[in-house]
Amino acid sequence: MTAARIRLWELPIRIFHWSLAAAVLSAIASGLTGGNWMIWHQRLGLVAVGRPAFRLVWGFAGPTHARFSSFWPTPGKVAAYLRGAWRGIGHNPLAALSVLALLGTVAFQASRGLLANDDIAFNGPFYALIDKATNDAATGWHRTAVNVLYLLVARQVAAIAFHARIKRQNLIRPMITGWHEGQGAQPTCGGSRHTLAFSLALALLVVYAASGTWLPAPVTPATSPTMDW
Amino acid sequence: MLHRFKQGLAVSILLAVSGSVLAQQLPQLKPEEATRYRKAGYAFANRNMLKIKAMLDGSLPYNKDQVLAAATVINSTVNSGMGALYLPGTEKDIGSEKTRLKPEFFTQPDKVKEVAGACRTAGSKLATAAASSNQAQVRVAFDDMGKAGKGCHDAFRKD
Repeated sequence: MTAARIRLWELPIRIFHWSLAAAVLSAIASGLTGGNWMIWHQRLGLVAVGRPAFRLVWGFAGPTHARFSSFWPTPGKVAAYLRGAWRGIGHNPLAALSVLALLGTVAFQASRGLLANDDIAFNGPFYALIDKATNDAATGWHRTAVNVLYLLVARQVAAIAFHARIKRQNLIRPMITGWHEGQGAQPTCGGSRHTLAFSLALALLVVYAASGTWLPAPVTPATSPTMDW
Repeated sequence: MLHRFKQGLAVSILLAVSGSVLAQQLPQLKPEEATRYRKAGYAFANRNMLKIKAMLDGSLPYNKDQVLAAATVINSTVNSGMGALYLPGTEKDIGSEKTRLKPEFFTQPDKVKEVAGACRTAGSKLATAAASSNQAQVRVAFDDMGKAGKGCHDAFRKD
């Protein structure tokens, strides 16, 4: 008997997953490094901010195992999982909590970053729209909430290690190849080209909006020519 | 297969485009910031004047390097283009950013030019004196710097 395998993660979801991981980790690294890397920190933040928008559409209209409805972590499901009675594939109820927390935290971090300033040489794209006190508050949240990202990244690595060592289950390979080895599970379906086009368009729109390039060029009131000192 | 390739291509294009969009970072200056920066500049110059004063009156031992560092800060500040920080309208408090600039500042450009020029000249003379490590010369330059500051305060600072 040959082992059955089913399509678990569609290509867009896999690209979403790895690009989000890359964007978040490199945004953290560039932010911690500072200096000229702050230019990249902003770019990576803008890359990251499009991802929750894309995932939101995919969560409602995407393929089976990417839909929030298929993995929404109700208390009952979490309890069942903890008893060892959960028999699904894809995101288990605990992982689902992590997915939602990660999407929320990325959106929170990116939105605060847009308003932030570092009192050195970085101003977020929306810095000029608010006063300095609000600006500083957003910066404070941005610097504090990165700890939530650390926790979520650590949880993810721990979960992968737990599944690999204790449950003898490779979580990384399906996220690269898209295949789930095993029988009896429902293969993924859904996620039309239209959904893909719409989600990509929305993500681009969010990134464009966040970039602030559409804002009218700020006008600094002119000083008189006699003020050239 | 082709379908999946197209999906992948579309997502990759999204990645590339979203990475290349970057907000323009113009060196904009809000009126509130203009006030904050000029106050910060003069406040730090004030701190450095106090340092030189302490070394001249003996409360602190005279240290040539520290006097030079302090004089350099003062000279650099008053010669750094402070004029650009007096945006129209910044004679008023903006939000929590208070100012004591008199409205006359914007109606007497000749007087402004005069006191600003005196301040800049005094700054460079102070730096030159500090570099010479001639205490008597520093004392004279310090006196001039103080008077230049007072010249501007008397004319354009609210009491």
